[in-house]
Amino acid sequence: MYHLAKGLYRLATSKEEYSVILLGLDNAGKTTFHEQVKALFHPDRPEPKLKTVPTVGQNVSTITLPDMYLKLWDVGGQLSLRKLWQSYYASCHAIVFIIDSTDIGDGNLEHDSSGRLDECRLVLEDVLQNSETEGVPLLILANKQDREDCVEVVRIKEGLVKRVFEGDKASSIRDSRVLPVSALTGTGVTEAVDWLRSRMKWNKESRPPVMR
Amino acid sequence: MSWLSNLSTLFFAKKEIRILILGLDNAGKTTLLYRLKIGEVVTTIPTIGFNVESVTYKNLNFNVWDLGGQTSIRPYWRCYYANTAAVIFVVDSTDIERLQTAADELAAMLNEDELKDAALLVFANKQDQPGAKGAGDISQALRLGELRDRNWSIMACSAVEGSGITEGMDWLVVSY
Repeated sequence: MYHLAKGLYRLATSKEEYSVILLGLDNAGKTTFHEQVKALFHPDRPEPKLKTVPTVGQNVSTITLPDMYLKLWDVGGQLSLRKLWQSYYASCHAIVFIIDSTDIGDGNLEHDSSGRLDECRLVLEDVLQNSETEGVPLLILANKQDREDCVEVVRIKEGLVKRVFEGDKASSIRDSRVLPVSALTGTGVTEAVDWLRSRMKWNKESRPPVMR
Repeated sequence: MSWLSNLSTLFFAKKEIRILILGLDNAGKTTLLYRLKIGEVVTTIPTIGFNVESVTYKNLNFNVWDLGGQTSIRPYWRCYYANTAAVIFVVDSTDIERLQTAADELAAMLNEDELKDAALLVFANKQDQPGAKGAGDISQALRLGELRDRNWSIMACSAVEGSGITEGMDWLVVSY
């Protein structure tokens, strides 16, 4: 009888858990974005901790949404740490790739290679090419849109993202989107989470969530 | 009502944040503790038992416990696990033969239920000495990349020279 009651209780209270990995070059704003999400969905609505230090390792958190638990892995983006990324690919339900919109020249691969645009492209291609990320929804965030010297999201989409996706290294079809955010001010963070939520649910068949 | 919680944080600001410094014997735990406490290098002897100091860093008060690392006394580490906010794991980066032992001790420790929410900061110590492995190699040896549910960070440091320590502590303060 106890086990039946326990089982029913579990069934009634358990929720699906989805995991998201935050990727991008160092200084893209992954940790700041992570802190914003944490603060925004915390029941006490604390002030986000916006003073971050370069991540060497992993920051992890699980936020509670009405219909799911959302686990976020914020991993270091420095060159030497990027080899750690692939160990997450098999278990993540979505990938967020964050770009520093102020450090990519004019955002067009065709005619400008100043800033870290090319590095960004190579790293993104590398993520897409990995067989374990196949079909996983990908959200690209053009971060630092609060700054005046940033490249607009449309231009990043046309000049970088589209070219990567249409190039021969893009492999499979997947759900993807480019959104503008400012991790520092919090603009666009809710929209980003909403997008992730819906797409991970749509992709449930191929990447089933963990029940918790 | 938010002023009430503000008021309560005012009164309870001195809440104890408990940090354990762990690692094999001769890793540099005691040197690190006193580097944090007084900013100086002290002459240490092997710790049998523990040293505890309260350390203030960036307005946070930590109760830092440095536990002896010898094989025979490692089983007693677990007596201190309750209510621990973070573990600082110190590794002698020149002691390559015992890296595996360090990895095993770390893995066993992180398996403990009482430490399931504790953050992990690894110090790859003794970077001032020749032959010291870097933070990348140490993190691989300790299999840190396999941790999935824990906040962790690694920092190359030298407790004797004082390098790398503030970087590590800054991370601890932010992640706490």
